[in-house]
This record gives sequence, structure tokens and C-alpha cells, in this order.
Amino acid sequence: MNASDITAMSPFVAAILVAAGVILVDLAWPGRRTAALLVTFAGLAIVAALTVAVGQAGTTAFNGSYRVDSLTTFLDLLFISISALTAAFAPDYLGERKLPVAEFNAVLLFAMSGAMLIAGSADLIVLFLGLELMVLPGYLLAGFHKTDGFSTEGAIKYFLLGSFSSAIFLFGIAFVFGMTGSTRIDAVSSNLAQVVAGTAPFSPALGLGLAFLMTGVAFKIAAVPFHYWTPDAYQGSPTPVTGYLSVGPKVGAFAVIIRLFAGALLPMAAQWNIMIMVLAALTMTLGNLVALTQDNVKRMLAYSSIAHTGYMLVGFAAFAAGQIQGLEGLLYYGAAYAFMNLGAFAVIAALQRRTGVSSNLATFAGLVKREPALAWLMTLFLLSLTGIPPTAGFFGKFYVILAAVQAGQTNQWMNVLAVLTVLNAAAAAFYYLRVVVYMFMRDPDAEVSVAAHGRLVWTGLTVTTVMTIVLGFFPGLLLDMVSTAAKAIG
Amino acid sequence: MADTIPLLGFGWNDLLFLVFAAIMVVTALAVVLQRDIIRAGGAMIICFAALAGLYVIAGSPVIAAAQVLVYIGAISVLVLFAIMLTQVKSAPRALVFQTQAVPAAVATVVLALLIGVTVVATDWPKQVATQVAAAKDMAVTLFNDYTLPFEVVSVLLLAAVVGGVFLAKRERAEAE
Repeated sequence: MNASDITAMSPFVAAILVAAGVILVDLAWPGRRTAALLVTFAGLAIVAALTVAVGQAGTTAFNGSYRVDSLTTFLDLLFISISALTAAFAPDYLGERKLPVAEFNAVLLFAMSGAMLIAGSADLIVLFLGLELMVLPGYLLAGFHKTDGFSTEGAIKYFLLGSFSSAIFLFGIAFVFGMTGSTRIDAVSSNLAQVVAGTAPFSPALGLGLAFLMTGVAFKIAAVPFHYWTPDAYQGSPTPVTGYLSVGPKVGAFAVIIRLFAGALLPMAAQWNIMIMVLAALTMTLGNLVALTQDNVKRMLAYSSIAHTGYMLVGFAAFAAGQIQGLEGLLYYGAAYAFMNLGAFAVIAALQRRTGVSSNLATFAGLVKREPALAWLMTLFLLSLTGIPPTAGFFGKFYVILAAVQAGQTNQWMNVLAVLTVLNAAAAAFYYLRVVVYMFMRDPDAEVSVAAHGRLVWTGLTVTTVMTIVLGFFPGLLLDMVSTAAKAIG
Repeated sequence: MADTIPLLGFGWNDLLFLVFAAIMVVTALAVVLQRDIIRAGGAMIICFAALAGLYVIAGSPVIAAAQVLVYIGAISVLVLFAIMLTQVKSAPRALVFQTQAVPAAVATVVLALLIGVTVVATDWPKQVATQVAAAKDMAVTLFNDYTLPFEVVSVLLLAAVVGGVFLAKRERAEAE
């Protein structure tokens, strides 16, 4: 370990220090929200500045177990944005339920540090530890409302299935390590290249390892048929946490997929891409079909997040079929999805500021008359989730489908996947627009009083709105970043 | 003493492995199936001990010692204490949540067959000779190649402790 190692790792170290700092500040001034929030946001700004400062370098640290390249920088900045927005949306909701803000922010920051570790991991063990560091705080956040039975139930389900899937993933790593003799991603990759070239034998154990790894990550991104924990965990969690869970751990798990499958296992892409394609087709179709029947908006968005996982997998399948645009599309989609989905959940959380307000469709009836600003913003986010131009969501889907069509020139099944994506996007419009119909055309059953929303919530909503619109009108801004990031691996 | 066991043709190490592996499987099953949680805890300790034996056979006395110290010495005691402090009545006789025994059994059998076939079909790398890993070599590997994972584990534990304390802490409002 030397100074350059620490420099390369400085954003990660800073993230942990900020988490510890939030706890210490809360220890000194117990229960003072302002102090905890100040440390959180100032700390996140420092972490972001450090990320930019050391970023793009293409260096490795700690004997090749961690690497900083443009992909690390892009993903780190995305994780920091997600955490900052979650920290902005949560205090109103938590305060009303007498839940502590400092502990929430500290746990959230630990989760962020785990995601950042994934983004830069060049070693399978570091990758696994990053994954654990990201999801373990996630279980705690899901059960954060500990006097609420649904929150605890969702957290337990999330925890049990998450632990099983982590064990399966670790088992897969053990097989790959056993058959390739290394945990370093570079070494695994070059060893597998020999296997594909025929100079080293392919063994069934390696195949089993691949299957376990695929199962493990499919659980984490909630791909069908490994999605059963998602609806309960998402519906039970406190709403700002649901927003975070549907975005943070999901993008983080895609970072695992990119580092693992596009890094270590790329030479065997022809072998595992079939699994990715089947998962993508099942995930988007089933996610959308079940979302159509939901009356609870949180549960509906949970299934819709499963469908979005499917769209992102289409991008990854296109990458595995040889189109670098697929990876670009996946990264673009991840960023666009993060902002629009966090925005949609922020509106629900704002409506649920008063305790006892359910997230059923009825809550949204006549919203435009009560809170026109929230109704219009929700409409924007839902249109973006549907993929209506010119919003961020449209370009996300556009790039993914474009990459799939290009990959279709060599693999005709990719064409089928592209058509399926378009059909799914059209079907999804029904359940997103149903909420809009409720907001604009239905009258509420009873008089509902209007809650005031804090400045942080409005700031966060402004950011998500601006990003959803700007990424829709000027996709080139982000496209440059994602294509540099994708080149780091392709 | 002969290099292999008469009649069977196994090496002595292979026999030891089979004994330890059998103990592990039986005790692991006991942990899951045993209705009395103290007995399940006891079976877990035996399972940990058999695993320590496997580490010795694999030539890693240091890991075996750590296994005994950490798992048998610390974690088992912690688990038993947790049971003692929280358990107010005996566990239910029947499995409460178990409603899908048949699909689970099918999945288990399929997975077991798959792993079995893989183990038989794979041409496993041959072990050159049992090398005993010296503590120094282990330390060099751990603190050169694996410094980062080693350090990150402590962050993971810190995050778990912070969250665990929050979840376990009794709120004032609740106590009233």
C-alpha cells in the first residue's frame, strides 16, 4: 500500500468517512436533523469532487485489485447523485414518522460506498465485498420503519432471498476461481480466452460456476424468474427507501454485471448471452403484464422496475453480441431511469408525508386540483418512464433498441428481442397513463387536506425534473460520457 | 503404515476427508431439521469443527486454527448466548411457514443431480502434493494481493453494526 493506492481509492475512503462523520455529528448533537443533513450534503459534494479529480485515469491500485477508469467515474457519479437525491427526499417522510435522519443517511452512505467499490473492482473478492456492502445497508433501509409490520416483513423477505443469492453468487466465484486459478478479473479473462481458443479445456465445473454467477446477479437485479422478493420489499419499505431500492442497488447490480460479465467473463460471451437474452425477454414481458393489474402505485412501480431491468438487459445482450452501443445504451438507460424513477417515487413520498396516506391509485384522484405542481411533475416522470419523446426515458429506450437492431444483423434473435422491447414499451403506456387519468380526470372520494413540502424535496424534484428534460432534449451531453465510459471496457 | 488403505485403495487423507465430510453433512442437516434450537446450535458447533478438520487436510493449519478460534470459540458462543437471552418458549413443533415442500424437494434433487454430474464429469486439476501453507506465506498473500478486501471487510462490519444497533435499539416512544 502506498500513497498512489490511497489517492486512487480516495472517493471510496471519503464516502466511508462521511458516513462515520454523520454518526459522530449525531452523537455530538443528538437528533439535530440540520447538522446531519449538512454533513451529508457537504460530504457528498466532496466525494463527487474527489471522484472527478482522480477519475478517468485508467490506473489500478492495491496490486491490481481496484481500478479507476472512465467507467468507474461515470458509475460513481451516478451513485452519488442517487444517494444525494434520496437524502433530499427522505427527511420530510422520516420526520413525520419520528424516524431518525442521521442513521438513515449514514446507512445510505455505506450503501453508496459499496456501490462505488463495485464500480472500481478488478478482483472478484472485492466485487463480492462491494456487493455485500451495497445490499446489507439496503436490508436495513427496507426495515427502517421498524414499528410498521409491512416494512419489517418486506425487509425480512429481502434479507433472506438476498442472503441466499449472495451465497449462490459466492459459490459461483469459488468455481470460477477453482477452474481459472485466480480472482483477478484480468487473469480470469485471459484464462477464459485460452479455454475458448481451445488451448485449455472447458470443464463442466466452469459451466456450473457461470450458472451460479448468473443466478446470483439475476436475483440482485430482480430479473424474472428471480424477482419474487421485489414487490413485497418495495411495497413494504418506506417510500423514499423504495425509490432508492428501485434505483441504487439495481444500477449497482448492473455494475456487477458489467465488471463481471463484460470484464472477467467476456471471452465466453457466446455461451452466456443466451441466458441474458432469455432473462431479458421474460423480465420485461412478465414485469409489464403483472404491472397492468396493480392498483397500488408503489407495487405497480415495483413491477415496472422489473420491466425496466429487462430493457437494460436488452442493451447488455446487444453488447455481448458485439455491439459496444449496447453498453452505452445500458449506461444511458441506467442514468435516465435513476432520475425519472427517483422523481416518481419522490412525488409519492411527498403525498404520503402525512401518515396513513396509502399509495393506492385512489390517493392520486383529482391531484391536479389539490397539488397541481406535483401532478404535472408526476405526469412528466410517468411519460418519461413510458418512453415518450422528448424525455430522458425515450432516448434510453431508443439507444437500447437501436443497439439490439444493430446486433440483429449477426444474431437474428436480437431482432426478436428488439421487437419485443417495442411491444412491451407500448403495453407499459397503459398502466403509466392510468395514473395520469386518475390525477387529471377523477374526483377524490373524500376531501383531502394538502400537506406542505420542505425545501429539500422541491430542490430534489427540480433536479430530477431538469435531468429528465435535459437528457431528453440534449442527449448528446450524457452520450459523450457514456461512450467514454463504455470504451474503458469494450 | 501402508500408503493406501488395504482393500479399499483409498489414501488415508481420502478416508479422513470422507469422515469429516459425512460429519459435516449430517450435522448441517441436523441444524436445519432439529426442532430444539439449542441442539441445532450444538450440531452447528460440530459442523464447524469438522470443517476445521477439512482445512487441516487441505494443508492450511492457520485457517483451521482461525476456524476453531473464531467460529467455535466466538460465534458459537455468541449464537448460544443470543438464544439464551431471547428464547422465551420452545420452538413450534411443526414448520410454520413451510407450504412448498414438494417444489423445494424437486428443486433440491435437480440441483443435487446437477452438482453430482458436474463433480463426476469435471477433470479436476491434480493436486501436486499436500503443501502446508506457512503462516508467513499466508500473511504475505493476505497483505499484498488481498489488502483491499481485508480492509473492506472491516467497513462491512461497521455498516452492519451501525444498522444492527439501530434496528435493535428500543425507541423511547415504544417503551412508554
